[in-house]
Amino acid sequence: MTGPTALIADDEPLLRERLRAHLARLWPELGVVAEARNGREAVELFDTHAPQIVFLDVHMPGMNGIEAARSVARRAQIVFVTAYEQYAVQAFEQGALDYLVKPFDEQRLADTVQRLQARLAAARVAPTPETAAAGAIDTLLDSLATELKRRGAAAARGHLQWIKASVGASVRLIPVEQVAYLRADEKYTLVVWDGGEALIRKSIRELADDLDPERFAQIHRSVIVNLHQVAQVHRGPNETAEVEMKGRKDVLPVSRSFVHLFRQM
Amino acid sequence: MNSVPVAPTPGSAPQGLRLLLNALSLKRVLLALALALAAAAALNPFFVTPFPVVLGRVLVISMVLLLAFTLAGMWQTSWLPRWLAQVLAVFLAAPVATVAVYLPSVGGNVQNVLRHEGMVWGVLLITGTALLIAPVLALGALYRERDAQARNQQLQFELERSTFEKQALDARLQLLHAQVEPHFLFNTLANVQALVETGSPRAAPVLQNLIAYLRAAMPTLGEVQSTLGSELKLVRAYLELMQMRMPDRLAFAIDVAPEMAGVRFPSMALLTLVENAIRHGIDPGEQGGRIDVGARRDAASGELQLWVEDSGVGLRETAQPGTGLANLRARLAAFYGPAARLELLEATPHGVRAQIAFAPAEVRPS
Repeated sequence: MTGPTALIADDEPLLRERLRAHLARLWPELGVVAEARNGREAVELFDTHAPQIVFLDVHMPGMNGIEAARSVARRAQIVFVTAYEQYAVQAFEQGALDYLVKPFDEQRLADTVQRLQARLAAARVAPTPETAAAGAIDTLLDSLATELKRRGAAAARGHLQWIKASVGASVRLIPVEQVAYLRADEKYTLVVWDGGEALIRKSIRELADDLDPERFAQIHRSVIVNLHQVAQVHRGPNETAEVEMKGRKDVLPVSRSFVHLFRQM
Repeated sequence: MNSVPVAPTPGSAPQGLRLLLNALSLKRVLLALALALAAAAALNPFFVTPFPVVLGRVLVISMVLLLAFTLAGMWQTSWLPRWLAQVLAVFLAAPVATVAVYLPSVGGNVQNVLRHEGMVWGVLLITGTALLIAPVLALGALYRERDAQARNQQLQFELERSTFEKQALDARLQLLHAQVEPHFLFNTLANVQALVETGSPRAAPVLQNLIAYLRAAMPTLGEVQSTLGSELKLVRAYLELMQMRMPDRLAFAIDVAPEMAGVRFPSMALLTLVENAIRHGIDPGEQGGRIDVGARRDAASGELQLWVEDSGVGLRETAQPGTGLANLRARLAAFYGPAARLELLEATPHGVRAQIAFAPAEVRPS
């Protein structure tokens, strides 16, 4: 009968080697059948080799360790490896999930190995895991994955933070807080920012939908203004108004249907 | 958007009235009354009418003129200067008001006033006096307005300067906070541990790099300025550490002419860009990428251009910009003046190029 098998997933090769070397010393019967450099590879290699144990680094490029764990959770013993994700460590504690904090010492790994051996022995006696606990782990991993995504600044659908504009041969990335205003110019939109002017292909309508309404306001059918860069608003005839920008000579029209934006100020 | 002043529309009645009452300050009314008193005293010898009556009439006229003066001041138009509008208003209002105060004594008939030689003289005298006083008042108002504008501008300048200074200070304070990310530190230490345990000869140089990085990244009070040369050393130490950690995913090159090493440079500025390139460009991608650090001096303008270009995953348009870039922008402005620029460009075929352009403050031969 062959010994237990394991998969190691970490994007840093030295750390994969080190874990492998320590495991060889502490648990010679364990066969490390594959090493993965990211979550996607981990899942692929897991499907190929079906190891009983998976060591998953939490922070990996592309698919991270938590996401990878969601797709292998019920089929293997998982040990998470993490450098500093305190919130993750807390969650692991709560969910009684095994984890190692980098840099870990051999004693800590020896404890983990013992627990894994005990669990594998128990699983041989009663091969079906209790479903309630498995469900709880799924929920925990789901919430951790969401948290990780939030922290990774990969927010699902945030406001526009950068405007890409062609300037000469290159494409400038303009942080929206530097944009003074945007004005429709036939089928293009003129972006005026602290560093110059450029035409972009996005329409005023699209921009109005994508920009943060806390900072940007459409004040005219063809004009969106950065409210943080408004110096003054002058009322004009017929319920219209004009906006003066900070540090600029430009005067922007406010049409009747948008005048109410400035009434309370 | 705390305060956006809205210019008054004279048309809207309740607001116009409120503004008028605001404009008719007690100071103005008292000044007008005092002037009226003086004018009455001065004009008294020319009138046969008893002084209290003259005074009464002049006081009424002065109030009417004050009203005309104030209303004209609120009426804004581009083709007539404000002071001229006020003088004209007083000029027109003076005879009308004078005729009006005579009306009760002649049975309400304007013809009677014009037939009465004494009253015509009165009208002329009071109009003349008003014409003497009105321009002085208008010019005084104009002068005060100019003064207020200048003061306002001065305040605006000071506000801008203090905002600027605050930004620079914030940026410095930011430097004082620990720059070392725990995640980076512990992962790097785990790698060092692996090297040490296997007795790798790479352990010592890697530790050297970590020490160089930590020394620079530790909060220090004094070292706000550095040279390009020592910044580049720091950047190299950091990139070598990252390359040890992700040898299959990171390649880099630093190509800066050695004679630029002496250029005065804000500390950690270049490192911020390189760390960004790793964090947002290289680290998120399975394939990783290259980082190129370079510098060029524009022969014509003497301007120095520095860039950090990565071939990583690039920037999503909704990616939250960290405080790092805004901070760096403020520090560059504080260091080299407002002409210094920090620009982000899309690299081809993918990735981001961050470049700094500035006129170097001084170049020491290194």
